[in-house]
Amino acid sequence: MRYLFLIIVVYLFSACKKCKTDDSNPELNYLSVKLQPFFGIDSLYLDSSYITSEGYRVKFTDIKCFFTDVNNNNNLLSDAVLYDFRETGNLLLEQEGVIEDFTNLRFVIGVDSLLNHSDPSAFPNDSPLNISNAGTMHWGWNPGYIFISIEGKVDTLATSSSTFDKNFSFHVGRDAFIGEKNLTNVNWQSINSNEHSLNLKLDMQLFLNGSTNSINLSNEFITHSSAGQDVLTNKVKENFIEAISL
Amino acid sequence: MRLFLHLLIVIILLFSCKKDKTVFEATPYILDIPSHFPSMIIPEDNPMTVEGVELGRYLFYEKKLSGDNTISCASCHSPSISFSDSNQFSVGIDGVYGTRQSMALVNLGWEDFYTWDGSKSSLEAQILEPVPNPIEMHQEWKDAVKKLNQDVLYRNRFFRAFGEEGIDSIKVSKAIAQFLRTLISSNSKYDVMYKYENGIPLNSSDQSIFQNIDNEEWAGYDLFKSLNGADCFHCHNGPLMRVKKFSNNGLDATFSDLGRGGVTGNVNDNGKFKVPTLRNIALTAPYMHDGRFNTLDEVIDHYSSGIHISPTIDPLIEFSSQGGVQLDNLEKELLKKFLLTLTDESFINNPNFMNPH
Repeated sequence: MRYLFLIIVVYLFSACKKCKTDDSNPELNYLSVKLQPFFGIDSLYLDSSYITSEGYRVKFTDIKCFFTDVNNNNNLLSDAVLYDFRETGNLLLEQEGVIEDFTNLRFVIGVDSLLNHSDPSAFPNDSPLNISNAGTMHWGWNPGYIFISIEGKVDTLATSSSTFDKNFSFHVGRDAFIGEKNLTNVNWQSINSNEHSLNLKLDMQLFLNGSTNSINLSNEFITHSSAGQDVLTNKVKENFIEAISL
Repeated sequence: MRLFLHLLIVIILLFSCKKDKTVFEATPYILDIPSHFPSMIIPEDNPMTVEGVELGRYLFYEKKLSGDNTISCASCHSPSISFSDSNQFSVGIDGVYGTRQSMALVNLGWEDFYTWDGSKSSLEAQILEPVPNPIEMHQEWKDAVKKLNQDVLYRNRFFRAFGEEGIDSIKVSKAIAQFLRTLISSNSKYDVMYKYENGIPLNSSDQSIFQNIDNEEWAGYDLFKSLNGADCFHCHNGPLMRVKKFSNNGLDATFSDLGRGGVTGNVNDNGKFKVPTLRNIALTAPYMHDGRFNTLDEVIDHYSSGIHISPTIDPLIEFSSQGGVQLDNLEKELLKKFLLTLTDESFINNPNFMNPH
């Protein structure tokens, strides 16, 4: 009996010690960032049909992007994330962090030139940059990563038969087309006292009709960031960045 | 006190004897991962051991796994042709043909899903399938295990591989999976071209291969990668020469085999099949999920001018509206020349992969 009492005392002592230690550190929160595609005000679903400003029916079949160096000044939230709407839905990242450190967010869209030309097999197994995880988002031939990949089909015939006569594929890569996004005063939503979520929007209607550039899918439907495709590649990059908002 | 001491010594001796009798520590198998490949993720519940790999090799070539002892895994996955089948459809012990072409078994340790429709997500799970399949080996697992149990050599090999007595289907699949993970192909001309292109240092062996890559092979590679050439790289690139996806590559306008759609029930997946590796492609005819093309020339013709449009066609078949990429005869020859660089002679002649029986 005395032995049991001793165990309880030791346990309580140890538990108190732990509490005391934790109090001296900032509280780590569980943070998740989601990027939900929309088409205008409607939630976007892959393989579903939407109408462009030109009156074409359009279906998106894939939306993928590399986000790297997700940070706020010196506070790094994630070094690299592969967003793949088909495979992982709208979840961009889940990470432990101190919520007060991320009132603003800055991230690179793409992969910096040093990493972009590293051996893609040499990254750790759990890195999205490892070729096993990057999958179709790495070009063996370029070589380097595809920063933004948007693919789909469009019906430019505008007949009642809804024939999606054209495929489109926008693959933005190459060092020159790396992009950056800054979001200020981000509004983390509390799921509970220790879990917070940030919901970002990706408006694919705005992607097609940006404030500066429009993409007409009837004649602008392929870029692989090759020489001679710079105009469309740049439009895709700029419009994609613009389409992301709080 | 003396009695207690004697008793203690007896217990210790008894315990140590028992331990010697029942415990066998298998030797960890160190996979030689090529320098330009990603590392392979091994399932935690099936660590590779020398004894496990060796047992898996025996089982891969073991005809007792079939109902009438006439076929083994190797019957439809022959090592001389990159562990593929030269028949359009493989035939089971009852003379019944399957409906899809047997896939080549190469670099499987990097795959996330298996078979043309990706219905199995682990190698171990896939290996459990052909034995009881009535159109393949057509034998209940309990009967296959019973046959293996009658062989003292197998009883010993299983004991050494798994450190415990007993044989069951799970252990059979684990051992074969261990063997299959050793089937790594990485010594083709293409590997040297890939390393060179990605700035990965070439060793002396690579250097000598590099010297033997001719201009036509390089030109074929350029075509392979070219957006306005053969445009193959979207689905076949990297050291594994494939991407992880299911794709409708324009074989048909309507589908007699739904492929991935048959697994997911999603109409948007209809007509899509796993993108296979192109490694050793010159050895693995016939081609496509239904083995419809007998030669590489036929395959090249398909992508050049035989594309059929359907609702789920891959957007990356970018010239589908023109029926394909429209290669001329010279381009077709160059492309074929490049495809031949993917042959890895050291893989198909590796003595560690051969029939041990």
